[in-house]
Formats: sequence, C-alpha cells, structure tokens
Amino acid sequence: MSKTIVPIGPQHPLLKEPVAFQITVEGEQVIDSAMRMGYVHRGIERLCEERTYVQDIHLLERVCGICSHVHATTYCRAVEALIGVEVPLRGVYLRALLCELERIHSHLLWLGVLARNIGFDTIFMYAWRDREIVLDIMEDLSGGRVSHAANVIGGVRVDLTEARREEILGELTFLDGQVARLLNVVEQEQSLRARTRDIGLLTLEQVRQYCVVGPVARASGLDVDFRRDSLQVPYDRLTFEVPVHDAGDVWARTLVRSQETVESLRLCRQILEDLPEGPTSARVPRRVKAGQAIARAEAPRGEVFYYVRSDGSDSPARVKVRTPTLTSLITLPVQLQEITMADVSVVLSGVDLCIACADR
Amino acid sequence: MKTRFYPHTFAYLLPHIWRVLCKGACTVGFPFGEAKLPSGYRGVVKIKPELCRGCGLCVRDCPAFGIELEREGRDKFRLIYYPDRCAYCSQCETSCNFGAIYQVNEFVPATDRPDELRVVLVDRWPEEDSTADEDQTD
Repeated sequence: MSKTIVPIGPQHPLLKEPVAFQITVEGEQVIDSAMRMGYVHRGIERLCEERTYVQDIHLLERVCGICSHVHATTYCRAVEALIGVEVPLRGVYLRALLCELERIHSHLLWLGVLARNIGFDTIFMYAWRDREIVLDIMEDLSGGRVSHAANVIGGVRVDLTEARREEILGELTFLDGQVARLLNVVEQEQSLRARTRDIGLLTLEQVRQYCVVGPVARASGLDVDFRRDSLQVPYDRLTFEVPVHDAGDVWARTLVRSQETVESLRLCRQILEDLPEGPTSARVPRRVKAGQAIARAEAPRGEVFYYVRSDGSDSPARVKVRTPTLTSLITLPVQLQEITMADVSVVLSGVDLCIACADR
Repeated sequence: MKTRFYPHTFAYLLPHIWRVLCKGACTVGFPFGEAKLPSGYRGVVKIKPELCRGCGLCVRDCPAFGIELEREGRDKFRLIYYPDRCAYCSQCETSCNFGAIYQVNEFVPATDRPDELRVVLVDRWPEEDSTADEDQTD
C-alpha cells in the first residue's frame, strides 16, 4: 500500500497553538510522524536579560496564556532565593490559591478541548461553562482573567477581604457540585472511554526514559508531584491526594486530570479556611546580589523549572526556563505509533500540549 | 426512532434551566447597558497629580515602556502616559510609594485619535518654558 503524508498544522482546528506535524499513513494506519516547533518562539529568555527583575515578572507571565501565574511565581521564588527574603505566610497562601485555581481552569479547559476533538460537545460545553466560574474568581482576585499580575518580588500585591473570602468559598461549593458531575460523566460515559482507551500508550519505563512529568507521567504510574514531594509551604500543611493511574493511555490521563481538579478544589477550600493574617508581601531591595538560584513548582502540566543568575546589577544575567510540555512533546512519536489516523486527534489532545510554553 | 426519557438527566437539567431563566440576558446592551466589572479589575490608569514627585519608579518598572518622564532639574518635570503601550498590569501602582498613580475598574475606551494616545499625567513644566522650548525646536 502506498504511503501518504498528512500535514497537521501549524494552523489547524485540532491544535490550540501553532505546531506542525507530518503524519505518514499507510491506509488508515499511522506508520511515522515528524514534528516541527518554533512558530511561537519570542526569545523571552533573551529579553529577560535586557529588562529589570521587576519588568521580567510581567514578561515571564506571558510565557503561557493558561498557566501564567505559576511561571511568574516560580521566577519570583528564584529571585527571592537570590535576595534571601522570606515571603510572608499570607502571601505564600495567596500564591498557592491562585496556582490551584489556575490548575482547575487549565484542566477544565483541557477536558473541553479533548471532548471537542472526539466529538463529545456536551462535555465541552459543560467544562467550559464551569471554567468561567474559576476565571471570574481569578478576575475578581487579581483584576485579570488570564494575566493576573498578582506577583511581586517578596510576595503578592493582591489581598482578600473576609467578605470576599466567604463569597469565594460559596462559589467553590457550587463548583464542587459541577466538577463532581463532570467527573461522574467522565468515569461512567462509555463513548468517552471507547475513544480514549489504549490510545497514546506510554509505559512507566518510557516515562522514566523521556523524563516525563505531570499528569502524563502520573497516568503511566509514576507517582511524582512536586507539591507533595518538596514539602514546601503551604502544601506541607494541607491534605491532598495525588491521583495516579497505571494504564498510560489517554483514558488514564483524563481520569488523572479530572481527579486532580477535585483535589485542587479541596486545596483551595483548605487554603481559604486556613488563610493566615498578616502582610502579603515583604519589602525587598531593588538590586539583587550576584549569585544563582533555581526554583521549581508544579504547574498544571507538570514540573516547571527556573534558573536565574545575577551579576549584581538590576537585570538578570541569565534566565532559563524548563517547561513540562517539552518532555511530553518528545514522547509523541512513541505515542503516535500503531494507531489509526482518527486517533491522532485524541493523542494530541490527551497530552495537553502548551506550545507557547515550550517555544517561549 | 423511539425517544427515550432519562429522568436523571432531566432532574439535573431542571435547576440549570431555572437558573438561566432567572438570570436574564448575559450580554450587556453596549454602549447603553451597565457593565459590571469586578472591584479589583485593572482598567483605566489614573493619577493624583498633587501626590506625584516625579521619582520615576513607575517609569523604571513599567514592563511595556508605557510611561515616560521628561525632567529638567528637580521640580520641573512632565509624566507622560501612552495607553496604546500599556499592559494594564498594575506595576506602576505597586511601584509608586506615594499612591499617586493607580488603576480603577473602568473599561479602557477605544480611540481613533492619535492625540489621545499621549496623555500628560503630571505637568510641572511652566507654560512659558514649554513654549520657549517649542520655539527653539522649530
């Protein structure tokens, strides 16, 4: 049978962001795949060296349009480690609250995209409707739906009043019910299971070989979560489970992310109930002493890593970002093996690619 | 084809239908309707000119280079804001030690007039001096 190359992207309805795939098919069967990236490379790491530490917060927040807060938080934590400043507890809790809200919003967005790509529009509508509740909470908290600009070096600039805290708790209670309903549909619905089972398989050995992180790794049985493993404040004081499944297919990833959404809601509730009193940020010097520091955090797609080097001036000498999508991207040729052309969309959606993060 | 009735789905949908009916229209009757914005919404940038000391911290920290400071000597300065460059990130408000510059929860209006894209926020430049400067330039 003759081989045909099917191009997908860089602009394609299947993809949220520009990345190009060349899928070689023999009949319906995928036999090879190639990928090309770099369409949204903006040179952010280099630009960081030309701006001050404060300006870089907002620049790095624009690395990703979905997990923007976690990028700014991780960068700020690296700079705070360089300065040697301790963030007040209330600031740490508020940062974690926004991180968890962002995780809920990211996972609901992903569930909608997956459902849309497999033709299950009902879940898509419900997931994106419920995501609006989270976006409204974040907008009210920080002033922006996507770019929160909540971080400053030394803490956060936003704060919560007692009345607003109670309101958010009420909204989270409503969201609890909605997400529980969605999780029930995801777990019970036969058609969703039929489309995602045994598709995009990654074994535990392959996950270890490619250093995969985040929900994709947890769906293959690798029990890794930086929030739990690092024992950092405030996660060492909060109770939560890390969902892990062994199947390694898109179905397992769906379950992991759906259950993580429930856990994140639980975390948000605990953070709001235990929110300590006090200032939200500490005063820090404008000049950063020479040295280097790293910071890590669990973004919605996995562990994000920041390296910052200072030469003693008011601009960083080097900022290096490692995003979780990169490790998932290099596993795609493996995942696309021995599947049919119709399942390519399911595999690409199941990984939850963030090309803006990977390209930077 | 026989239509099946699902009582559980119907029971789930009822409160949602009721909520949507009570809520009314989601869209705002722009431009005459009332736009409800959250209290912390980062909208229009405003200034209390009497509090500004022209220290330039907002200029230095602005990530979008949306504020410029023209200065001559200690007391003679002009703070200029470019709304088209602004990222509405509130960094100027955070950086200002005197509470002079701030954002309010109002929508940023669109404009097609170039002169509205250069706003002099603080003008501590005496009138005769600025005229003299312009004459020299000409």
